[in-house]
Amino acid sequence: MNDKPHLDEEALTELQDVMEDEFDVLIETYLKDSSDRISHLRSAIGSADPDAFARTAHSFKGSSINIGAPMLGELCLRAEEAGKDNRLDEASDVVDAIEVEFQRIEQTLKRFLA
Amino acid sequence: MTDSKPLRILIADDSDSDRLILKTLMKRLGHQVRATANGSEAVAIFPEYLPDVVLLDVMMPVMDGITAAREIKAMAGEELVPVIFLTSLTDAGALARCLDAGGDDFLTKPYNKIIIQAKLGAFNRMRQMHKTLSQQRDLIRERNRQLLEEQQLAKRVFDNIAHTGCLNADNIRHHVSPMSIFNGDILFACPRPAGGMHILIGDFTGHGLPAAIGALPIAEIFYGMTSMGFSGNDVLREVNDKLGRILPTGMFCCAAMIQADFHLNQLRIWNGGLPDVVLLRKGGPRELVPSRHLPLGVLDSARFDATMELFHTSAGDTLLMMTDGVLEAENEQAERYGEGRLKQALDTAPAGEPPIDTVLGAIRSFTGEQSGHDDLTLVSLDMVVASDFHESAERLPQSALKGPAQWHCVYEVRDDTLAQFSPLPLLLHICMEVPGLRRKSADIYTLLSELYTNALEHGVLGLSSDLKTSPDGFSYYYSERERRLEQVSGHYIRFTLTHSMTRKGGKLIITCEDSGQGFDHSSQITTGAADESGNANIKYSGRGLLLMQKLGHSLRYSEYGSRAEIVYDWELAIKQPGGWS
Amino acid sequence: MPINTHRSDDGHTLTIRIEGRFDFSTHQAFRNAYEQDNQEVKEFVVDLSQTTYLDSSALGMLLLLRDYAGGDGARIELKNCNNDVRRILTISNFEQLFSIK
Repeated sequence: MNDKPHLDEEALTELQDVMEDEFDVLIETYLKDSSDRISHLRSAIGSADPDAFARTAHSFKGSSINIGAPMLGELCLRAEEAGKDNRLDEASDVVDAIEVEFQRIEQTLKRFLA
Repeated sequence: MTDSKPLRILIADDSDSDRLILKTLMKRLGHQVRATANGSEAVAIFPEYLPDVVLLDVMMPVMDGITAAREIKAMAGEELVPVIFLTSLTDAGALARCLDAGGDDFLTKPYNKIIIQAKLGAFNRMRQMHKTLSQQRDLIRERNRQLLEEQQLAKRVFDNIAHTGCLNADNIRHHVSPMSIFNGDILFACPRPAGGMHILIGDFTGHGLPAAIGALPIAEIFYGMTSMGFSGNDVLREVNDKLGRILPTGMFCCAAMIQADFHLNQLRIWNGGLPDVVLLRKGGPRELVPSRHLPLGVLDSARFDATMELFHTSAGDTLLMMTDGVLEAENEQAERYGEGRLKQALDTAPAGEPPIDTVLGAIRSFTGEQSGHDDLTLVSLDMVVASDFHESAERLPQSALKGPAQWHCVYEVRDDTLAQFSPLPLLLHICMEVPGLRRKSADIYTLLSELYTNALEHGVLGLSSDLKTSPDGFSYYYSERERRLEQVSGHYIRFTLTHSMTRKGGKLIITCEDSGQGFDHSSQITTGAADESGNANIKYSGRGLLLMQKLGHSLRYSEYGSRAEIVYDWELAIKQPGGWS
Repeated sequence: MPINTHRSDDGHTLTIRIEGRFDFSTHQAFRNAYEQDNQEVKEFVVDLSQTTYLDSSALGMLLLLRDYAGGDGARIELKNCNNDVRRILTISNFEQLFSIK
């Protein structure tokens, strides 16, 4: 179903090159934001708020693509669409998948930290 | 390179990590950056930060990118501030909304340094170009405003010279666009002192100021000479000569000149390069007067033909004249109005409708144009019985009573100038500055001319009229005149003109003195051909004195005939019947 | 010179047209116009339609033409004169010597 790679090495290398000293700060910011977003997604399901769900998924999607995690971006897109289409019943499964993928990315990224 | 100049960049993105990436990327590229977390903050910062480029995320809390883009574009006004949306490129509908809101481009995630650099460079160049174009546009706008202002001023000057004529006479209808002068079109009408009027309609080659410049001398010549009583072909010759001298080759004036006489009910028409002049006879039949001459300003005076065609008319006939703009009027399909349509419009005109209204109406429905935004110049003249026109012609001298009234001048021509120069036009011109005298130009000219001829031929040159008793005597007299004129030396002819106002009009005293030996003026006067009609020995000379006696109110010779004085009394034309015809 | 002549088809009428000023300067041309090749001419017409001005020497020339054409028996018509020209002719009582139309 999802054939995107877990990590876009090229994008990540370019980020490292651009960010230089701030690369660590970026990764830490991303990781913190992302776990916050996963909590937001879950609470949006709890409060049956598909709109908030979709918006959070959208932002999560963007930052994941930018950081070089296309597979996670793809999962976020599916979440965003589910939110937009008012299909929150399917949303829990997607958030589970996002959480699994995120843990994987988190471990990989932490290896990049100094 | 404009690329190397640091830009001020405003970013709005609610995602901390994305904002951090973008901000760092821009700084690495050497630009200045202000980063905000939503559209509202960006809009608030914009007026004081005045960025060169704005980067906006689409979905943001508080204020989204689309709303922020609209507000920023509104604040930027005419200045180009490129707005680039940050997106992950998924939803085509969202992209369209971004463009609607004034977005100039997109940046897709993940950000690529090379692409960002290229886009910023391109937008910066576009911004510079826009700025240059705006400055140039402002400059052009300002120049255009100045030009229009100057044209208005020029038009006021022109109107003072050109539109004082009798275009408002009851029997004239005309249409000119307000700024026609800058299309090169001219239309003048002026009453003649002896009755009737002249109309001149013309079309200069070219447009704008160059075309307008030629119109000024034409107006002066036309009004000046017509008011002095010169005939249509004299005016044409003078105008042609003047234009030939002042206009560059390739520039000329297509024109038609009309001399209307309401006493004899006749028209003289000269057409040089304009569409056919149409004479609509009362009751239907039409005559066309095509262009038979080259336009004014083309031929030198030796080859110029000022012959006007004579047409006998009756009251109720109408003359219609137009410039090329009429036939060249175009509709939306770029077809020209043309002669065929003109003919058809006149053929099918409702009875009683003025022909000029027929033509104007037909052209407007042809071109579909409602506004006065046209290049049309048309004029029509209704032939009327003289008494009907007289009233309008009489208005002129009354309005022009102001002018030199009390004056005195002495003009002396000396030595070989006598052989080369005639002072008569100049002296006539001085007299014609008196508005009330203009109607009398023919009288004044004859008086001046006869005085001058006598002073020159009998006084200075010492020729005797007795020579003029036979055809050969006549020839001898004039060849002798020429011979002696070439050798004239130490002589003068002095004119003294004194003008004053009287209760009824004015008094012009002309004295003419010469340096000659005098001549036997008493024997010169023929008491009138009538007395001697039937006699074989009618004298061929001496009629000049008779003319002067009858035209002037007194003629006195003194100093043995070398000094002549004429008193010419004239009256205002308020109740005077028209002319002498 | 601005003087043109035109002979009728039957050769009996000679029309002389003077353009512009009719004064001493046209003397020779005017004389040539009526003196040459005119055996059959019985009537002279002086067309003044294009004549802008006429002075006393022109009056003399018209009288010369009149005598040339037979004096009192001459048939001479002055036609198409403008108001100014007509006035000069009238003041000089020329309508008694010429047919003015």
